[in-house]
Amino acid sequence: MPTLILNGQRRECPEGLTILTACRSLGIEVPTLCHDERLAPTGGCRLCGVEIEGWNHHPSACNTVVHDGMVIRTHTTAVEQQRRTLLQLLADGYPADAVTAAPDKEFHRWLIHYQITPRGRLATDVDPAHSQPPFRDTTHPYLRADFAQCIACQRCVRICDEVQGRFVWRAWNRGDATRIRPGNSPILLASDCVSCGACVDTCPTGALEDQSIHHKGRPTAWTQTTCPYCGTGCEMSVGTRAGQIVQVLPVRSAAVSRGHLCVKGRYAFDYNHAPDRVTEPMIRDALGWRKVSWDDAVAFVAHRLGEIVRTSGPDNVGVLGSARGTNEENYVAQKFARVVLGTNNVDACARVCHAPSAAALNSQLGTGAATNSFADIEHARAFLLCGTNPTENHPIVGARILQAVQRGARLIVIDPREIELARSATVHLAVRPGTNVLLLNALAHVIVEEALYDVPTVEHRVAGWSVFREFIRAFTPESVAEVCGVPAEAIRRAARIYATEAPAMGFHGLGLTEHAQGTEGVMCLVNLALLTGNLGRAGAGVNPLRGQNNVQGSAHMGCEPDHLTGYTPLEFGRAQFEAIWQAPIPHQRGLNLMQMMDAAAAGQLQALWAIGYDIALTQPNTSATRAALARLKLVIVQDLFLTELAREFGHVFLPACSSFEKDGTFMNSERRVQRVRAALPPAGRSKSDWEIISAVATAMGSQSAFAYSSAEAIWNEIRALWPAGAGISYARLESGGLQWPCPTENHPGTPILHVDRFAHGQRAPLQCISHRASHEVVSTEFPFLLTTGRTLYGFNAGTMTGRTPNRQLRRTDTLDMAPVDAERLSWREGERIRVQSRHGAAVLPLRIDPRMRAGDLFATFHTVEAALNQLTSPYQDPLTRTPEYKRVAVRLIRETALESERAPADGVR
Amino acid sequence: MAEQFKLVLKNADSPGYTPDMECYLKHGGYQALRKALATAPRDLPDGKKLSPQEVIRDDVKASGLRGRGGAGFSAGLKWSFVDRRSGKPIYLICNADESEPGTFKDRQILHKDPHQLIEGMVISCWANDVKLAYIYIRGEMPHGARILNQALREARAKGFLGKNILGVGYDLEIHVHRGAGAYICGEETGLIESLEGKRAYPRIKPPYFPAVLGLYMCPTIVNNVETLAAVKHIVEMGPVNYAKLGTPNNTGTRLVSLSGDVQKPGYFEIEVGKVTLGQLINDANFGGGLKPGRTLKAVIPGGSSSKVLKAGEVFKLKRKGADGQMTTVDVPLLDLPYDFDSLQAAGSMSGSGAIIVLDDSRSMVETLANLSEFYAHESCGQCTPCREGALWLAKGTHRLSHGEGRKVDAEYLLHIAQNIQGRTICAFGEAAAWPVLSFVKKFREEFEAHGAAAEAARKNSTSAGTHQH
Ligand SMILES: Cc1cc2nc3c(=O)[nH]c(=O)nc-3n(C[C@H](O)[C@H](O)[C@H](O)COP(=O)(O)O)c2cc1C
Ligand code: SF4
Ligand code: SF4
Ligand code: SF4
Ligand code: FES
Repeated sequence: MPTLILNGQRRECPEGLTILTACRSLGIEVPTLCHDERLAPTGGCRLCGVEIEGWNHHPSACNTVVHDGMVIRTHTTAVEQQRRTLLQLLADGYPADAVTAAPDKEFHRWLIHYQITPRGRLATDVDPAHSQPPFRDTTHPYLRADFAQCIACQRCVRICDEVQGRFVWRAWNRGDATRIRPGNSPILLASDCVSCGACVDTCPTGALEDQSIHHKGRPTAWTQTTCPYCGTGCEMSVGTRAGQIVQVLPVRSAAVSRGHLCVKGRYAFDYNHAPDRVTEPMIRDALGWRKVSWDDAVAFVAHRLGEIVRTSGPDNVGVLGSARGTNEENYVAQKFARVVLGTNNVDACARVCHAPSAAALNSQLGTGAATNSFADIEHARAFLLCGTNPTENHPIVGARILQAVQRGARLIVIDPREIELARSATVHLAVRPGTNVLLLNALAHVIVEEALYDVPTVEHRVAGWSVFREFIRAFTPESVAEVCGVPAEAIRRAARIYATEAPAMGFHGLGLTEHAQGTEGVMCLVNLALLTGNLGRAGAGVNPLRGQNNVQGSAHMGCEPDHLTGYTPLEFGRAQFEAIWQAPIPHQRGLNLMQMMDAAAAGQLQALWAIGYDIALTQPNTSATRAALARLKLVIVQDLFLTELAREFGHVFLPACSSFEKDGTFMNSERRVQRVRAALPPAGRSKSDWEIISAVATAMGSQSAFAYSSAEAIWNEIRALWPAGAGISYARLESGGLQWPCPTENHPGTPILHVDRFAHGQRAPLQCISHRASHEVVSTEFPFLLTTGRTLYGFNAGTMTGRTPNRQLRRTDTLDMAPVDAERLSWREGERIRVQSRHGAAVLPLRIDPRMRAGDLFATFHTVEAALNQLTSPYQDPLTRTPEYKRVAVRLIRETALESERAPADGVR
Repeated sequence: MAEQFKLVLKNADSPGYTPDMECYLKHGGYQALRKALATAPRDLPDGKKLSPQEVIRDDVKASGLRGRGGAGFSAGLKWSFVDRRSGKPIYLICNADESEPGTFKDRQILHKDPHQLIEGMVISCWANDVKLAYIYIRGEMPHGARILNQALREARAKGFLGKNILGVGYDLEIHVHRGAGAYICGEETGLIESLEGKRAYPRIKPPYFPAVLGLYMCPTIVNNVETLAAVKHIVEMGPVNYAKLGTPNNTGTRLVSLSGDVQKPGYFEIEVGKVTLGQLINDANFGGGLKPGRTLKAVIPGGSSSKVLKAGEVFKLKRKGADGQMTTVDVPLLDLPYDFDSLQAAGSMSGSGAIIVLDDSRSMVETLANLSEFYAHESCGQCTPCREGALWLAKGTHRLSHGEGRKVDAEYLLHIAQNIQGRTICAFGEAAAWPVLSFVKKFREEFEAHGAAAEAARKNSTSAGTHQH
């Protein structure tokens, strides 16, 4: 360890640190302006200059590395004088009132510290040859620019390049005429900006600022919590003022997000204070919704549920947990179903997204979750992305993959659309929806045929090799090329990259799972990883990108008909759970969400309790869903808003807290459990989900089993039942999340699964999966193939994002079509198109998108108006019953009016 | 009488010489390359064995060749810093950006004898296991780029470049890249960024030492045109003979660009240190003396960034006496041998080999204002001291030269310049500060007089103004 003499004191510090990090770790503050630990040093501002004995100039501390024996002085008269001169130079052209308005800004702090008063630039000092007015932009809903305060530190430029990878900001001109502006457009809204706000976060002045600060003022309190949106699990600091969220900033030390957030986490929080947020319990009677007391609401629910259980049996009730809820709440929900109601009819939205991933990974590898961590992205030499669009749906993962690719990692993208990452891909396989299995098998074929497999893995860790080798022989790239719509040579190239650029990391999404062969598709991916030895090592693995913040947790906590907490099979865990719960667990197999709908339609389910889940909008094949829901005698909706489910089918509404208003934990895509902390008190009379459920349980006579004092108390009960999570205590979570398995309090957690052996044994089976054609077929009557999905600014059914200014960033759902098709039909952008499938119809404005392939269509489901699930089919993956959202054959009919000409009331419902 | 010594420009300046392959071959072209590729491994006294490539690298070190781009750093030493264990490709870049004001010597090679450069590059690349090299040529020299591209085509056709060069199994490609018109593109790390397609923002060292993290973050050698051309001659004549040219530690020949107030401005090739500044300015076969009736005022000895030397200055130089003892001798300005070490000892540098002569008709204030305007315009804008400071230097000198200054401006200019030098990412900071520091220190009376005169004039005009009221 190098020894330094730092300001006269002998200090030790680890090898390889810069002087700045060394100083900071030893508690010495060196002023900086252009430095940000998220960025590579540029050494431009020179505020960090220090004196080193024997050096004849003042090196910048932010990039100079310490050596043994260095004698460093950080605050001599000379360097302090230098700092003053530098600040003086910058202050000379700086608006005087900016400092008083926001004294906390980094630059302003130093001006105040060194007692330098900005003078404001004299007009005559501006060289007319260079003068270009500073950039100003107030048109964006979230970011605000006033570059009279820009000191050209370039942090915005660098963070956009180096962290987000969008290259929005550019420096124009040279020398003192340097002006920072967007590179390719006059305003941010028209640029490549994805509104992640990283530039605002790093800006040391007020040049870039959040609009919310401008409109609502600076936060007075901060709370660290976990993002309420996707399964990436970014940590964020929530700034509140007068009972409102006014700003959200990234957490620099966060394991996953490392000081970065996407637009959803960073800015889309206004839904929390939306005017139509319902914060009173309500019961619907003949006159409509009526506000009631909590006592009345709870009594009503308890009474009606009790009645149905008594008269028709517990299996007439279904409970749906929520991917929006915490682990604790989902645990309580499933315990309620099993213990209070006496049914295994409990499920959650994992059913419709990644149940296939859990099932495939569990059956083949023994653990139904991502094998690796996001930290592996920096170790991977190649990526295989299948049916996932991370830059829009898991933007922080997307940005990290993009950075890795820009540093030279290879990238294979399997997706029908030319998603953003496809443009950076080494190979893009634009597969025809519904043919994933064929394509993945062809990749395996090439790996086997060209002997690119990893011999030690195949010999020692794989079962069924010889059978598989025979089976895969038939799947030549040439034989699948036409059906998959992908050239054979591209398949070979992709296979070679995946097999030879080790380690190669796989990510997949709903484009793989939401198919009739969803589970088998994931198995094909696992086959590839097994063949190439891409398991149990850094930078590899098979990693589902979970859509919602706690979808992994909701299923894992036991909101699964066949599994108890910890993905423990029902019969396997019965004895232990019954002992702790002191109640019997029903033997009758439970219904999953799809089966609940079928049962409801058949009159065999009478009550449904839906927690934070708008199934009226999100279930496929809306007409069938509605018919089923209409037959229910009791629909209990627990949510923030009167969702479509509540509006149309609800009998009682229980107002829940948002995740900004409660404590608990979420589990992200990489098995990381992280804390959720209340930044605000519950809105109105809303309560957290576990309080509501416990109240009903108590009212139904199960007082002792639900007498929880806090979320932590629930968590401790979970730990007692779930050995892999036993070591994860709230106390430990204070210093960052932990990845299970984490069996003991001193276990560090497990970033990579299957290192030496699989959870179920030494060898994992290769699965021989044959292709089954989808029931949804393209015909002359239904000539287009529609896939559905999400976008950056929208989140699922739009319940949250639809109540934020994100709607200004993307105003409407669209029907995306390839230019050739639009040309052939002579249709123009914005025309309203009636989309008709064999199952229903929806109307959407047309968007012409060069990233689409001829014959394919893409549409999002972020708004109620679009009601896209009118179209989707009843077909499912037979193994998990996950719906086939990603493939619907449709025909199109042009409606006359252009979107812009449409009268506001003219919605098609 | 001092003479030119034509080595690098020997062919270029011979009558009837053309830049094509045929002509080059007729003059013995690419023989040095053949010789280099046939180099035998060498056994060292300590039992170590040098590979043929290592032999060439060793020879370049032994030749004493110092970089001709500006800093005068040992070429052999620079090559020895290259990270050869990273597993990454090694790149070589020929810096043909030649934009230091007063410098017009690289273009003589580029325009008249491109094959000499290419031969030097191929040898240097082979010696350093480089498979891909670039010539970064100043944007304002489109003609040079055309000539180079033509020469590269010829070299490829003849098998001196491309796959399996001269049948020894060595592959090399050289691309010409045209700059985008900024002085900073000549700074090696700025050049690298520019070559990567970005703004020429110089990189901070550490960590971005080109020898380790250069082009595309791979080990990279950047050498000046003249430096690389000299490599050919080192191979041709052997390091020992090359080192016999010039003076100890200042070996070989050097191209000098002479401009300013002399009778015959132009470029000359000299043995380093064998010709004095006075000879370069006054001898009939060099500058031919000052214009009639003029006296010398100052000399900028190594490109616009070097510190100015004042007529009549006497410098203390260390010399090895006949007895081998080091003694200090007084050397007047015009007797300074034109070499790296003497000019450094005189407090300046030989830089890019560009001598700018100023006679008594020149105002030092105006001259500095001119230079400072150049630097303010060319600062890339990354570093606060350089971006803001260079502007203030320009403003201050402009003010003085336009009769709007103050007497204290001299002090003020020094203060700003001192806060730039040594406090920036790249040596542009020094380049901008040094002229100011030296001009103002050495011609202080002139600066103060300008300021004082302006102050007096203002006083008069305001009192005159009051009078009218
Ligand atoms: C501002 C600035 C401009 C420069 N311009 C040039 C140039 O035009 N040509 C050149 O060869 N070197 C130039 N240099 C020097 C290069 O950075 C580098 O040191 C040189 O190319 C190395 O080659 P050499 O070792 O062969 O001299 C410049 C340096 C600075 C700081
Ligand atoms: S806008 Fe802010 S971050 Fe960007 S260069 Fe200006 S001061 Fe720096
Ligand atoms: S990537 Fe996901 S978790 Fe991270 S900020 Fe965006 S929505 Fe939130
Ligand atoms: S010293 Fe000047 S030219 Fe060099 S990097 Fe800094 S701002 Fe750019
Ligand atoms: S913080 Fe080190 S130079 Fe800016």
